[in-house]
This record gives sequence, structure tokens and C-alpha cells, in this order.
Amino acid sequence: MKEELNQILNEGTEEISSASDLKGLDEIRVKYLGKTGKLTQILRGMKDVLAEERREIGSLANKVREKIESFLTEKLCKLENEKLFADMEKEKVDITEPSTGTKRGALHPLTRFNNKFIDICVEMGFSVIQTPEIETDYYNFEALNVPKNHPARDMQDSLYITDSILMRTHTSPAQVRAMETLKPPFKIVCPGRVYRNDNDSSHSPIFNQFEALVIDENIGLKDFMIMVKEMAVRLYGKDVKMRVRPSYFPFTEPSIEIDATCQICGGKGCNLCKGTGFSEFFGGGIVNPAILEMSGIDSTKYSGFAFGPGIDRSVMITNKIPNIKYLFRNDMKFLKQMR
Amino acid sequence: MKVSYNWLKDFVDLKDVSAEEVAEKLTVSGFEVEDMIYQNKYLHDVYVGNIKKIERHPNADKLVVCQVDLGGKNVQIITSATNVFEGANVPVSLDGADLANGVKIKPSAMRGVVSDGMFCSGEELGIDENYFEGAGINGILILPQDFVVGQKIEDALMLNDVVFDINVTPNRPDCNSIVGIAREVCAIYGKNFVEADISYKTVGGNVGDYVAVKVETENCPRYMAAYIKNIKLERSPLWMRSRLQAVGIKPINNMVDITNYILVEQGQPMHAFDYNYLDGHQIVVRQASKNEKIEVLNGNSYNLDESVMVIADKNKPVVIAGVIGGTNSCINNDTKETVFECAVFDLKSVRLTAKKFGLRTDSSARYEKGVNVNSPKFSLKRALHFVSALGCGEIVDSVVDVVAKGVKLEHSDQLTLSYSKVCKILGIEVPKEKVLQILNGLGIEASISGDVLKCVPPFVREDIKNENDIAEEVIRIYGYDVYNDVEGIAFENSATTIGQYHPRLVMENNFKNVLVDAGFYETLNYSLYSSSACDKLLIPEGDERRKVIKIANPISEDLSTVRTVMAHALLLDISYNLSVGNKDLRFFEVGKVYLPKALPLNELPVENNRIAFAVCEAGYDFFKLKGVVENILVLTSAKYSIVRSEEPFLHSGVSADIITEDGRKIGCFGKLHKLVTKNYDISQEVYYAELDCDYLAGLGERKYETKEVSKYQAVERDIAIVVDEKVTNEQLIGAIKSACGKTFYDVQLFDVYRSELLGKDKKSLAYKIVFMSDEKTLISEEINALVNKVLKSLEFRFGAKLR
Repeated sequence: MKEELNQILNEGTEEISSASDLKGLDEIRVKYLGKTGKLTQILRGMKDVLAEERREIGSLANKVREKIESFLTEKLCKLENEKLFADMEKEKVDITEPSTGTKRGALHPLTRFNNKFIDICVEMGFSVIQTPEIETDYYNFEALNVPKNHPARDMQDSLYITDSILMRTHTSPAQVRAMETLKPPFKIVCPGRVYRNDNDSSHSPIFNQFEALVIDENIGLKDFMIMVKEMAVRLYGKDVKMRVRPSYFPFTEPSIEIDATCQICGGKGCNLCKGTGFSEFFGGGIVNPAILEMSGIDSTKYSGFAFGPGIDRSVMITNKIPNIKYLFRNDMKFLKQMR
Repeated sequence: MKVSYNWLKDFVDLKDVSAEEVAEKLTVSGFEVEDMIYQNKYLHDVYVGNIKKIERHPNADKLVVCQVDLGGKNVQIITSATNVFEGANVPVSLDGADLANGVKIKPSAMRGVVSDGMFCSGEELGIDENYFEGAGINGILILPQDFVVGQKIEDALMLNDVVFDINVTPNRPDCNSIVGIAREVCAIYGKNFVEADISYKTVGGNVGDYVAVKVETENCPRYMAAYIKNIKLERSPLWMRSRLQAVGIKPINNMVDITNYILVEQGQPMHAFDYNYLDGHQIVVRQASKNEKIEVLNGNSYNLDESVMVIADKNKPVVIAGVIGGTNSCINNDTKETVFECAVFDLKSVRLTAKKFGLRTDSSARYEKGVNVNSPKFSLKRALHFVSALGCGEIVDSVVDVVAKGVKLEHSDQLTLSYSKVCKILGIEVPKEKVLQILNGLGIEASISGDVLKCVPPFVREDIKNENDIAEEVIRIYGYDVYNDVEGIAFENSATTIGQYHPRLVMENNFKNVLVDAGFYETLNYSLYSSSACDKLLIPEGDERRKVIKIANPISEDLSTVRTVMAHALLLDISYNLSVGNKDLRFFEVGKVYLPKALPLNELPVENNRIAFAVCEAGYDFFKLKGVVENILVLTSAKYSIVRSEEPFLHSGVSADIITEDGRKIGCFGKLHKLVTKNYDISQEVYYAELDCDYLAGLGERKYETKEVSKYQAVERDIAIVVDEKVTNEQLIGAIKSACGKTFYDVQLFDVYRSELLGKDKKSLAYKIVFMSDEKTLISEEINALVNKVLKSLEFRFGAKLR
């Protein structure tokens, strides 16, 4: 009996270890542990064993069964894992096939630039406002110190609706509306569309501007210069260089134009920057005290600065867009490049 | 404004300053030099040569071999020119020369004989007969005998100038002149301004005896005139021609050249009349009358009217004031006596006239920018100085000077300003002595005592009124570079402000992101479009969107109307993209429609912000579009229902309006009306949606409220029923919900099936119903009972049969 059990253990262990698949393993299980299995039969035959041997044989038989069961489980686990690996091998795909599902579209480059610029402004304490695109000539010109006989007020340059209502020619009316409604100190920025009576290969009748205005006590040109530098750095990175030129706007005095390192050539000089290495960043200056007074702000107490970048050009430079007309053409082949 | 470097030297000592440096300094002080033109660009390696000997070429009949003296150096030149002769002075281009007509010179053998270079014609030197006698002929330019042999041709012909093309800002009309820029250069370098010579000799008599001037229009604040007799018309001297040539003005004759010289040097336009052609020897400054005509120097005739100011004689207009002279009275070869006009005309009047006729002249360009009322007096003297100095004629004593009432001459207010305020504006302290040096250098008489800064600007600086103006003058000369090194932070002495995003723009960005995730591309369209937009979109008469704002002076019909509907532009985008072969189009735009309260516009219209999107793609359908709309609306707190749309441009069976609880329409979506797609030449189906961003953003951010999640298991059951076509999903779902009562958790329509076999106008709908209780695990019997209840209810209310 003992020998028989040891033989079952040896044979069983051997068979289990040489089983190559789950089916074979199951057959081995039935062969030894099934209802008519070798071990089952021996256990069943225990009643015929002598009482004094029964205890010893019984214990041995159970050990053999436990061992075989444990070998079976171990082998089962091994074979199952092997199958998983084999199945996974079969599932292998060509990872270079295209993705499925809805592909993301894209925001317009102008929106991206606007959002970035708005973020920078808000971080720096500016609040975003919106004012009408259809404006009165008071807000568009008069309150900004653009005199009646200024060429900008001719029909030739602006799109008029009535004698006193027109499509705003710049976002600067936002300055006046802010000064009339807000109490200093404040910092505002107003992104928006502007309109001119101009349509040729390098001009669009509709384009985009930002208007920014700071009004407080003790505001001077130094504040403006330091802030502008910070904005340029946040927009174009810390290597950006700036160049300041005096300029003229009816609503600021002193007025300046600020150029930043050309983002196309990185300052080496290219066609777009006419070899100067700089491209126009924005124009602005200290708010003319006459404007403050006209809008009901005490110019002896408060001062401020106003500035505005032409967005379209910056968008073109940032994205290397070859022609301003692309911004409104909405050609899928162009828009797809913004994905 | 073109400014000659040599000319500037008349007024400021520039011996130690290069043209390039002047350009750089002008740019950083506010006079941007946009371009520099080197007059001698094509004249290097060209010299004055004297032909010593001419011999026949041994191997060519049409060539001659010339021995040429270049002032101590001899060269041999072969030429085919026939107008050269022994003893002639000629321009000789040598090795390395690069001529104006593109010819590059190098020594070469011609038929076996070496030529060291080439003789030049006027054209090859870039000049014409107007500039130099003989330069216009088809042959070699024969130079005068008094030219210095061996001299560089650019020096001999006075073509050695450098010209700055300067962008003069509108606040500085005084700088549309050589003297204006020269004063700036003086201030930049701290040099003294050299006053121009205005001395001249007269021959007695009285101008009043020869010419009478009447000003009958308010558009002429000042009119001055002088009378000159016994004119000797000839070429003006080379130096004067050189100056004019440099700034792009064609030399004509001494009298005309003097007027042009004053125009450029002083910024004061002038005109010279032939006295004998002035009927009645009268000059009348007036507005033209309706039937008058004038033929002017450019050869054109113009019909005049009351808006045009003219200079007339007793009978007829002779000049379009400030713009261009008439042919009938200008200086000509027979002119013996002349009247010089030196006047100020209203800038707007001149500008409108110049625009009306499309005539922009050197004169009108100056007047448009504004000529100071004090300018004529000095400028006329300067012109008469040249008449006298060049011996062009005899000047009769005194000048005419008609000044309009109310015009203040030679007047500058003394400004009492604060030095510390100037520094505060700049944010930096500029030392007092530096401020004074800069201001006085600019001709602004300034003094500082304590904090009081007293300034008297020159007459021409009408732009200087307050501390801001002074701050600008100081800093642009002091240099903006100073800020490069300024330490510190912005707003050091000001309040902190908290930045705030714009709620509508934030919401719009959220919507945009939904659309981008759904595969849409953002477009930008003009908010102006053709007046045919409403027609193409089938919008009926009487619809509010027919109330469109029109541009009074549109660029074109395509841009003549302010938009009231978003769909037009997006459909044009789709049409355009299809036409260039692009497929699978999903576009959106966020923009405004402009809705007037009344027309004609007497108050500003409502500007309503919309988000609109359109799809033109095979396999797209209404329900995909609906999904996108829902994904946008779910970001808002809008409570809405969906009803069949009445939008004229949408397909009536496949479109919906979005209506709020209080009955307000906040959007629409659906398939486009087939006639509309046809109107836009689109041969495929288009799906379109539009939402009111102002309304949705106005609702504020959506608030999310949650409740406890049931701990008992949810159970799903599927049912399939057959109902009439007219029964809607919404109705069935409502019935299912109410039949389930508290145990309802969710219901989804997962299949719709239509077949003749179901019966006429029938459809089969399959729903997955999810039951769940907050109190217990539902057992099978309870669920069966609920399903039965649902089926009974559906049968009772809609005649639904279990399939």
C-alpha cells in the first residue's frame, strides 16, 4: 500500500510537471483525483486496510493527495499564465495604424493669442471689459482728442453708419467708457474687433486690437516701461529684447512705439522686420490729461497710461502666418495646421 | 518727408557727424528714418576725364581709341560715341563702377585694343536734361570746361548727398521742412541753429501799384505776395538743382526752383504767377462757383464747385488753392514779371479738395498737415533773398500781407509749469540743467526757479501746452534708453488691483472647447456682409433680422451690411472649402449680431454674442448635432426644452428650437433647408446650430448639487414596443418615468426600427429601463410587476404594443 501511494505520488508529480496544456492537466487531475482516480480508489479502499495500519496509511494518503493537489494548482496557475501571455501575443496590433474616434478640431490662432494675452493681463491685475463695436463719434474720436479735421474722421478712412455713428476704428473708445464708469484706481483691458475703410493685399477691413488702460495716483512712464517689459517676457520668453521709439497718438503724451525682438528671425533680421530684428509690439503712452478731464477724472490727482497692441500682426508673427488674409479665409488646410 | 543731409548742413554744423549717425539719432528721438538713399550709389569709380587724343581703332570702323587724362593718370578708353572730341571733359567710369542702368565696368579688350573703362551718358549716371545740360542727349555727357579733371563725378555733379526718408508724426507739421528737422538735429547734438539768410535788395516802387489781393473766403488765414519784374529765366545754379533732385523734385527754371526750394527748406508752399496773365492784375482768393473749370499743370481739366478754394484773377480761377497751379498763368519762357504767392490755407479745405480730384502734390501734402500762420513772412523773405542773390529779377519794394480777422501772429503764451510734475510723468528724475539744455536746444525758452518751470515755445510749436508735452520733449532727447537700466517694480507708488476675467468670454471659451473636442475648427468671419444674406437664408419680410444696419460708405457690396445672422458667413466658408476640395467640414464661430432698436440708427444697437456651428460631412446626422448642443448647454444652468423649429433656413422636419422656461428662444439647430444649401452652391447636407452666448453666460455658472447614492443594486430590463410614428420619444419616456415612480433610475432608447411589417406609420422602439430603490434590493417579482405597469401605461396612453 505504502509503495503504491509513493508510486502514485512519483508518477503524479512527473505527469503534472510534464503536462503541456490545461486540458492535459485536467485529465491528470481526473486520473488521480477523479471519482475513479487512482488516489480516490486507494482512499476508498482504506476500509480494507488493517486497523493498525490505517492511521499510518491514511495519513500518508492524505499527504499524497495534498501534494498532488498543490502541484496541480501550481501547474494550473503556470499554464493559465502561459495562456494569458500567449493570448496577449495574439492580440498584438500595428501601433502605427491611425487612431479612431473624434479627432479634436482647433481654436483659431487669434483666439489662442487673445487667451494668452488676456491671461497675462489678468495675472498682472487687469480686468477684462467689452465695449460696443458700433460706436458714436464722440467715443471713437472726440473724447480721444482726435480733432474734427483729423484725416481719420474722413469717410475715406472709417466706415460710417450715420453722421455720428460708425464702426469703431480702434478699441480706444474702451478707455473713455472705462474712465466714465469706473472709479480709479483701475486697470482694464479690452480685446475686440475694429474696422477701417481699407481692403487690399496687406490690409483687412476688420482686424483686432487690445486696449489697455491704467489709472491711478502716481503712475508714470517708468511703471509703463517696467510693466511692458514683463508682458513681453511672459508673451515671448525671457530672451526678448525691446526697443522704444517716440511716436504720436492724440490721446497719449508722451507717446511711444515699442518694438520687441522679431519672433520670426529671433532678432537676426528678416523680410518681415525689414532686417531690423525688431517688430512692432505695441504703441501707447501716458494718458493725455485733457482726456482724463473730458471723461470726468481729476487730472491733478490721477494719471495713467494706455496702450494697445495690434493683435493680428502679433498672431502672424507668433504663428509665422504668411499673409493677414489667412486670418479670415477659414481654409481647412490652414486651420488644420493649428491642431 | 525726404530730407537732404547736405541741406541740413546749411543750418547745423555736422562736420563730425555721419549721415548714418544722424539717422539713428533722429529715429530714437521721434523722427523715424524709414529709408536712406545714397545719391552716389551708382557713381563710385566715375571721374571727370579730359580727352587728350582720339585715334581710329585699328580693327573697327565704328570705334575710336581715346587717350584720357584723369588728373595725373592716363587711361585708354574705346568708344563708339560720336559726340566726343579732343579737349572735351567727359565722365569716365573705371574698373569696379556699377552704373545706374545696371552696367558694371571692368577693363577689357575691344577688337584687340584694351579699354580701361567707359565714357558715360547722363542716363548711365542717373540724371536727365532737367538736372544737367547735355545729360538728356543720346551720347556721352560733355562736361563744362571748368570742371576739375580727375575729380570724382559725384562731387563734380553735386550728386554726393544722402537723403533720409523720415516719417514725421502729425503733431509736428513744423518738421515737414529742412529747417524743422535741422532744429531737431541741433537739439539732439546741443549745437546752435544757423539762421538762414533773408536779406535782399529791392528796386523801389510799391507792390500795391502792381497787384491787388482780395481774400473772400474764410479758408485762407493769411495771403502774402511779392512782385518781381525784369525776370531773367534760366537754369537755377547746380547746387540748387542738386538739392531739389536729392529730395525728388524736378528742377525747372530759377523762379520755379526757388518756390520749390522754399517749399522743402521752410515747409512753406509757394506759387509763381506770370503777371501778364492775371486779368485785371488782381488776385482773389475765393471758393469756386459751380460752373467754373480749370486746366492745371498736370494737363487735366477739372470742374469746380463751391467746396473748392481757388486763386482767381478778375475773371477766372488760375490756381486750385494749395494744390496745383493752372496752365494759363504759370511761369513760361516769355514770363517777364511774376507775382510770388506765399500763403496759408485751411488744412481741411486743401485735404478735401486734393482727395476730391485725386491730386496729391508736394504743396497739398504740406498744407494738409498744417502750415503755421507765421511761416509766410519769413519764407517769402527767404525766396526773395534767392531772387536777389541769384540775380533772377528786380524786386519791387514791400510785400502784400492779408491776414484774416482774429488770426494772432507771432504769438506764444508763456507756460507756467511744474518741474516735479514733469519728472513724475516720466517716473525718473531728469536733472534740471539737463531739462533746460534740452528745451532751449529745441527753441523752447525755458527757465526753472524752485519747482516752477517757465516755457515759451516757438510760434510753430502749437503742440506744446502742458507738462506732458514738455515731458515728451525732454525724454525723447534725453533718450528712452534710460529705462533699460531702471531698477524697481511697476506701480511702486500705486494701489494693487485684482484682475478679473470677463464672464462672457470665459463661458465662450468653455463652449469653444466643447466644440474643439467634438472635432470643430474655429473660423473668423467679417461681421459685415452682403445685403443678400437674408434672401439667401429665406428670412421672410418683416422678420426682425431683416432690420439691418447699412454702412453709409461701404468698401463693396459684400461688406455693405452689418450682420444679423451668423449662418451666412459659415455657409460661405463651407461653400468655399468644398470648392477648393476640402471635405469633412466642422466649423464654428463666436461672434456678434447687431440688432438695431430702430432704423435709421439713432442709438447704438444691441450687440448680441452668438456661437454658431455648422457641419458638412458624410454620415453626420441631427442627433450627433443634438449631442454637441447638449454638451454645450450642460455647462450652463439653462433650463430649456426642445420644440420643432420654425427657423426659415432650417429643414422643418429635422430641426429644433431651444426654448427656456419663460418661453425665450435661445438657440436652434438642425439640418439646413435644402433650398438654402442650394443657394450657397452646396450639394451636400449641412447641419447648423446657433446659441445665444449673452443669455447663457448671463445665467452665471452652473451650480452642482448631489444627493446620497443608493446602496442597493440597480436592475436593468429591456422592452421593445410598437407605436404610431407620431408618438415621440419624449412622451414615452415621460410615461415610463411616471409609471415607475420612486423606483425609476434611468431609461435609454437604444434602438429604433421601422418596417412595413410593423404596420403603416408604425415604429418599434427599444428601451433599457433601470430600476433602483433607495430602500431595498428589488426582487424579480417586483420588477416584473413594474415592467407590466409600464407596458400597461404605454398601451393605455399611446396604444403601444409589446413587440
